[in-house]
Amino acid sequence: MPEVRIIAKNFMDMVASMPAMKLDNLYENGFICEAILRSLPPLAKKYVLQMLYIDAQVTAKSLEEWVLPDGTSKHRVAIDRLVQLRVFIETVDRKSEKSYKLNPTFQRSLQNLLIIGGTLPREPMPSNITVRLPTLEDLEAYALEQWERFLLRLISPNQVERPSNISSSLMKVFQRQLMIQRDKEAPRLTESGFQFLLMDTNAQLWYFIREYISNSEARGVDAAELISFLLELSFHVIGEAYNVNTLTDFQRNIIKDLADLGLVKLQQGRKESWFIPTKLATNLSVSLADSSCRKQGFVVVETNFRVYAYSTSKLHCEILRLFSSVEYQLPNLIVGGITKESLYNAFENGITAEQIISFLQQNAHPRVAERMPSVPENVTDQMRLWESDLNRVEMTEAYFYDEFPSRDAFEGACDCAREWNGLLWEDSKKMHMVVKMEVHPYVRDYLRRQK
Amino acid sequence: MGHGDKGRPFKKFKAAAKFDDSRKGFVDDDNAYMGDDGYDDDGEKEGKAKDFSKLELKKDHANRPLWACGNGRIFLETFSPLYKQAYDFLIAIAEPVCRPESMHEYNLTPHSLYAAVSVGLETETIISVLNKLSKTMLPKEMIKFIQDSTANYGKVKLVLKKNRYFIESPFPEVLKTLLRDEVISRSRITSEGAAGDGFTISKTAGEIEGTHGELLNEAEVAAAAEEKETHSFEIDPSQVENVKQRCLPNALNYPMLEEYDFRNDTVNPDLDMELKPQAQPRPYQEKSLSKMFGNGRARSGIIVLPCGAGKSLVGVSAACRIKKSCLCLATNAVSVDQWAFQFKLWSTIRDENICRFTSDSKERFRGNAGVVVTTYNMVAFGGKRSEESEKIIEEIRNREWGLLLMDEVHVVPAHMFRKVISLTKSHCKLGLTATLVREDERITDLNFLIGPKLYEANWLDLVKGGFIANVQCAEVWCPMTKEFFAEYLKKENSKKRQALYVMNPNKFRACEFLIKYHETQRGDKIIVFADNLFALTEYAMKLRKPMIYGATSHVERTKILQAFKTSKDVNTIFLSKVGDNSIDIPEANVIIQISSHAGSRRQEAQRLGRILRAKGKLQDRMAGGKEEYNAFFYSLVSTDTQEMYYSTKRQQFLIDQGYSFKVITSFPPPGEEASLNYYHLEDQLALLGKVLSAGDDAVGLEQLDEDADDVALHNARRSAGSMSAMSGAKGMVYMEYSTGRNKGQAQMKSKPKDPSKRHVLFKRRYGS
Repeated sequence: MPEVRIIAKNFMDMVASMPAMKLDNLYENGFICEAILRSLPPLAKKYVLQMLYIDAQVTAKSLEEWVLPDGTSKHRVAIDRLVQLRVFIETVDRKSEKSYKLNPTFQRSLQNLLIIGGTLPREPMPSNITVRLPTLEDLEAYALEQWERFLLRLISPNQVERPSNISSSLMKVFQRQLMIQRDKEAPRLTESGFQFLLMDTNAQLWYFIREYISNSEARGVDAAELISFLLELSFHVIGEAYNVNTLTDFQRNIIKDLADLGLVKLQQGRKESWFIPTKLATNLSVSLADSSCRKQGFVVVETNFRVYAYSTSKLHCEILRLFSSVEYQLPNLIVGGITKESLYNAFENGITAEQIISFLQQNAHPRVAERMPSVPENVTDQMRLWESDLNRVEMTEAYFYDEFPSRDAFEGACDCAREWNGLLWEDSKKMHMVVKMEVHPYVRDYLRRQK
Repeated sequence: MGHGDKGRPFKKFKAAAKFDDSRKGFVDDDNAYMGDDGYDDDGEKEGKAKDFSKLELKKDHANRPLWACGNGRIFLETFSPLYKQAYDFLIAIAEPVCRPESMHEYNLTPHSLYAAVSVGLETETIISVLNKLSKTMLPKEMIKFIQDSTANYGKVKLVLKKNRYFIESPFPEVLKTLLRDEVISRSRITSEGAAGDGFTISKTAGEIEGTHGELLNEAEVAAAAEEKETHSFEIDPSQVENVKQRCLPNALNYPMLEEYDFRNDTVNPDLDMELKPQAQPRPYQEKSLSKMFGNGRARSGIIVLPCGAGKSLVGVSAACRIKKSCLCLATNAVSVDQWAFQFKLWSTIRDENICRFTSDSKERFRGNAGVVVTTYNMVAFGGKRSEESEKIIEEIRNREWGLLLMDEVHVVPAHMFRKVISLTKSHCKLGLTATLVREDERITDLNFLIGPKLYEANWLDLVKGGFIANVQCAEVWCPMTKEFFAEYLKKENSKKRQALYVMNPNKFRACEFLIKYHETQRGDKIIVFADNLFALTEYAMKLRKPMIYGATSHVERTKILQAFKTSKDVNTIFLSKVGDNSIDIPEANVIIQISSHAGSRRQEAQRLGRILRAKGKLQDRMAGGKEEYNAFFYSLVSTDTQEMYYSTKRQQFLIDQGYSFKVITSFPPPGEEASLNYYHLEDQLALLGKVLSAGDDAVGLEQLDEDADDVALHNARRSAGSMSAMSGAKGMVYMEYSTGRNKGQAQMKSKPKDPSKRHVLFKRRYGS
């Protein structure tokens, strides 16, 4: 099975991989510290809070005593994470005893946040200035629409007419791992691209944000500043309007890209203009594991391998086409069927049965979502069986030998191949043999030497 | 995966062509089935999705249950609050394509609209109700299609009066149109009446013989009640079917309605029979009857209910409503007995008014009206009959039947129907079946031979209501053993392939394990089906279980079935395909299928039907009850053989009804292996030897099967040596066979009369 190369990495992993200096800079900001705190595993959260007002070093040994023996593994995970994020500073004394202490910057910021409370750099605008603010539902619909348009533009650029702020060079960056373009052909999704489309929105978002950040240096943008802005943004209130004037020039540039992705909605008043954060933005500081904010499912899979998708989205249609044959498109319904042929297509493109199944399960229509299992068992079984069918025959590149000059030469060659552990088959009557490709040079050399 | 498996699951049938010629016989039955079945246009759909996304969505679409497409396809949400109403409506106007749990698909066809019109729905009603139910504005194409298809429907009626057939219509110009057709004009009988009235044939008035006398004043006639303004002409009874066919949508497009105003029929004597008070038709049975008797008259047509859902009660109820003489046709003698029993069970009919007419029992009812239960074959038989049966047949021919009740209409071939229907004169025909596998020619035939489909129940709804058993279906994959597979692949064994994959030791062991498990762990009653007679006997002998096949005598059969029903020691029986239809075995709740007839979807459904009769307490069976599944259907297939391919095809019908097949790949479970037969390689090899040595007369093997099953069932109509004979089916039908002790039935082809002789077949096979 092809390895799943695209893993939407947690935002915090990105933070953790930043150099120490930059991290310490980030921790000057109380909101970032809170975001970091939220993202931690439960045990790690507890340690941070316990250590918050301890200024002395705490030895690893005494830390270990805080947990029961069966919690050791969780303990280790928590400590590792804290050290990675430089929330804990590890020191090793002469007896190679480890001890820990909170990062002073982090500690100070968090203490301040607790005592004084955090204030965002900007306040929501009063409602007498802002007009025609979207309702929360409208806003969510807007976010999803923007997001889908962006994805559609990504996988089939011809289908979207509306211009966007995101430069085509940035688009290329996003496409880098997802699409492949052989000369003059239309760009085609790669294996990872297929897998990417089957991931849920949050995971996809993480992927882009990561690409966006890691590409930032190349665009002359400071990654730390970018991360800090994104985290800050995640603490804004959904649906409230914030004045664009409160943003720095740097941030104002970024916010246009974010609007294209559907993280914020930009609106223009008579004098002022403002941005409204959407759910996508506020989800950024939530760690991937508890992405509870799942959009409503839309797919019904029946025991007869029919797929009914309650959707008007072209993107969904494209996604369904990846592994099923779409037969009918109705105003709000897409009808398709999963067939052996359609699945084999998907497998050839590197999509695994598991990915398709989990896509179908994650997007199960509420009508069937509570049913266990949400995708009929016979369908999932059959998909796995088809997949495993493909793996029944194992291909080994090999080399076929015949017309040996003598029985001795034949047997010698057999022995030689056997020694290299590369003899696949022999027929001593006809003096034929097959050896693994990588053993072929040795056998060939052996035979030459015999001459 | 081996070549046998390439087509899973919806591969087109053409794929079968790659099998070598000897297989041709195997598949021909199903060519008909595959016709243009819903899935078969898969070929063109690739890449060309039908795009109806431009249809305008109504504002309150969420409250409406269905989408309608311009090409006639309709999608129905089953979770809509309007589902029940929508279902009843759709089933009347459209053909169900598939009906799983959440979403149904239907097709509007001219035939289905014909059926709609014949149950009294009018064009405008169809369009307006459909529009009400639809989430989108109805596509123009669909409205036009409905209008075009139904414009002519319901204008012509076929009426039987005093043993003469008349074509009636309120519109003389329609009759003229009909008479312009050569077939119809030839069939017309210019009765003495018409001639006597002094009308010449060329004149319109003469052509169309109005109900006597009233023609004189047409204006008056038009003003009179509707019944009176009909015009009619008489046709030759023997040509009725041809005339009906000419009137169908694909020809003249004036399909004829057949209705019987039985209440006002004073000519035919009444039969005193009522439903007994304890006979309480279930809601869906009521519904199907209401479709039949919707306007106070009896309509001809077909009612489709799953096996075990109580078709016989529907039949008996219909007969009780009409209260005229009734001719009931079944497929074999056992089911004749069962029908007679059902009549006595549900109705107050007096014993002397009901009689059976089979090769064994030639009863005659007393009085001037009664019920005759017989088989298709007894009526259709064309050879010489005994004097006694000749008399009875004569009576059947001469009587004007109030109701012709036809069981299992899907298994009887058209030519037999034609014969039966042209021989017997009936006012109303009611066909009953479980599996109207659609779109094949034979089903189209049924449309004009009997009438449109009046009602079709949804299997899953009946399961949910607890009316039929909730069956767990499983496909058990049995890998071929190395040795068997090697032989299977050899060219010279091409004719023995079926025997090889059926006798696959792993399959045998899976079967043995399942029998043991269900007998001992659950105390179930098990039927094992095998089409291949060699395998049937081999399995039954090895496992020491009783078996029934074509040549088993009626007495022996009854005895075995009786023991299966009552004895605690007989929990498993082996059946050849004779058990597919109409043998009523209500006790059984497990089916293991070890071999089957190629890709026949109908056979699969029929076999499943054997265990559909609901068992246990109603509340346990209802959704959420104690026992989620109380019946089990196992289909054993040898992997990598063509059986895999067939298996997928066979399941299609059931899958369309919402059943799902769970694939079981590891049987028997580890730890059980040693306790089962053929554990040791040498045993397996011995079995292989047996299969191969039976191969010296490999063709003989098939011939024997044919002799055993085919002669008994089809007597004179044997088809020469095709592989289908091996399975014995080839879409053929259970015909009447005489039992060993027949007296006087000279026409029944000779067949072993003496049980000891009959078993020679097996002895010889075992000896070899």
